[in-house]
Amino acid sequence: MKVLFVCSGGMSSAIVVNALKKEGEKKGVELDVLAVGTQEFDSEVRNGWDIAMVAPQVKHRFDSFKESADTAGVPCQIIPPRAYSPLGGPTLLKLVMEQVK
Amino acid sequence: MNKFVDFLENNLSTPMAKLSEQKHLRAIRDGVVSALPFIIFGSIFLLIAFPPVSAESAIGIWSANHIAEILIPYRLTMFIMTLYITFGIGFSLSQSYKLDPLSGALLSTAAFLFTIGVQVMDNVGFVLPMANLGGHGLFVGMLVSIFSVEVLRFCKAKKITIKMPSSVPTSVARSFEALIPVVLVLTIMTFITIVFGIDLHSLIDKAVAPLVKAGDTYIGVMIPVFLITFFWSFGIHGVSVVGAVARPVWEVYLANNSAAVAAGNAMPHIAPETFFQWFIWIGGSGATLGLVIAMLISAKSQYSKAMAKTTIIPSLFNINEPVIFGMPIVLNPILIIPFIITPLIGTTIAYIATSIGLVNPTYIMVPWTLPAPIGAYLSTGGDWRAVVLVFINITVSVLMYLPFFKMYDKKLVTQEVEENTTIHSESVMSR
Repeated sequence: MKVLFVCSGGMSSAIVVNALKKEGEKKGVELDVLAVGTQEFDSEVRNGWDIAMVAPQVKHRFDSFKESADTAGVPCQIIPPRAYSPLGGPTLLKLVMEQVK
Repeated sequence: MNKFVDFLENNLSTPMAKLSEQKHLRAIRDGVVSALPFIIFGSIFLLIAFPPVSAESAIGIWSANHIAEILIPYRLTMFIMTLYITFGIGFSLSQSYKLDPLSGALLSTAAFLFTIGVQVMDNVGFVLPMANLGGHGLFVGMLVSIFSVEVLRFCKAKKITIKMPSSVPTSVARSFEALIPVVLVLTIMTFITIVFGIDLHSLIDKAVAPLVKAGDTYIGVMIPVFLITFFWSFGIHGVSVVGAVARPVWEVYLANNSAAVAAGNAMPHIAPETFFQWFIWIGGSGATLGLVIAMLISAKSQYSKAMAKTTIIPSLFNINEPVIFGMPIVLNPILIIPFIITPLIGTTIAYIATSIGLVNPTYIMVPWTLPAPIGAYLSTGGDWRAVVLVFINITVSVLMYLPFFKMYDKKLVTQEVEENTTIHSESVMSR
C-alpha cells in the first residue's frame, strides 16, 4: 500500500511516517510511505498513491490538497491531531486501512 | 471554555489562516521560500569573509586580504535575492492560476529588470547597479511580478493571445501565447521607467518605510510571536500563516544587515527572521524544547515519559509538531498558557540583549534544523554571547513550562490509574 503524507516542509511528517511504518511492520502490512512539503504535493500526488494524508497543522490548506488529490483520483484525509505524534502509529494504521478499503 | 475556543477557532484563527492562503500572499511566500537555498549559500560566504576568529590569526588575515573575492558568491546570490524571488513569485502565482508558470516567471523577472536603470561605464560597458536587485528592491519585485502575472491572466481570460494551429508543438504554442502579454507589460514598464523616468524603488521605499520601521520595534516583534503561538494553539501552522505577511519584511532586515556587514557598517536591524528562529523558537514554535526538558525531568505518567523520550531528539533540531499534537498542546487549556507566554518572555530578553548591544544582531541564514546554540552562534557571525543568550532562554522556558506540565501530568497519571493501563499510548490516545 502506498501512503503519501503532506506537512509544511515534509520534516515533521517524516517522524510520523516512521511511527506508521513501525506499526505496519508489527502488523505485517506492507507500506510504502513518503512525506512531502506543501509545494511538492500537487505534482507528487499524481504518481500512483493509494491515499494522501494531510498533517493537521496545514488543515487550512486542505481544500487545495483535496482538489489536487481528487484530480489524481486519490482519497485524501486529515490526520487527527493526537495521531500526529511518534506514538500515533496504531491510530494511523487503523485510519489508513479503513480509508483504503 | 469549549464554546469560547470554538468561537475563536471559527471566527478568528481559521478565517485568518484561510486569508494567508490568498493567491497573491501565497505566491509571495512561496517565491521567498524558493530563494532560501540561495540565501543560505550566500550567507556561508559572509561567514568565511568575517570568520569568528581573531583578526591576527592566519585565517583572519587571509580573509581580510581576500574579502572582495570571498564575497563574490554572496553578491551573486543573497545580495541580489529579489531577482530570484521575483522569478519564484511569478512562477508560483501563474501556477496557481493554471497559466504557463515559466512564461509568468520570465515575464516577472523581465519586468523587474526594467525597474533597474542601466548605466554606462567607461572600460566596462553597460552596467546594472546591483543594490536594488537585493532586499532593497523586494517590495518593487513583489508588485511587478503580481502585475505581470495579472496581465498574463487577463490576456488569457479575454483571449487576447495569438493562437497557433494545433499541429504546432505545445512549447512553441505557449511562447506565442505569451507574446502579447509580454509586449504589453514591457511596453508599460518602458513608459514608466524610461519614458517618464520614474524610479519605482525610491517611490515604494517611501511608501513602505513606516512598515519596515514598525516591524523592528519591540511591539512589532511581539505581535508576530504572539500570533504564531496563537495559531498553533488551534493546530494551525503559525509561521506559515504569519510568515505569509511578515516574511518579506524579515528578509529585508536580513538583506540590510548582511549588506551592512559586507560594507563594514553597523547593522541597522534587530529582527530578521533569524532573530526569531534562533533566540525565540528554540525547539520549534512556542520554545517547546523547554517543555520537553521539563518532561524529561519530572514526567510521572507513562504517556509523558514515552513522549519525552521520543520527542527530545526532533526537538533539538526544532521539529516540534509531534509535541504540539502529541501532548497535545493544541486546544489544551493548561499547556497553551506557557506555550503563549514563554516565547513572549524570550522575545523580551532577546530584544533587550540585542538592542543594547550585549549580543550581535543576526545577519547570516543557516538551515533552521540546526540545534539553537549552533544556529545562534553562526547567524550572529560567531558571537559566543548569542550562545549564552540561547541557554538563558532555554532555562527560562524550562522554568515556565515546568509547573504547568506538572499540573497536566498529574491529570494524565490519574487517568492512567483509572484505566488501569500499565503502558502506553493506545488508551490515552483513543480517547
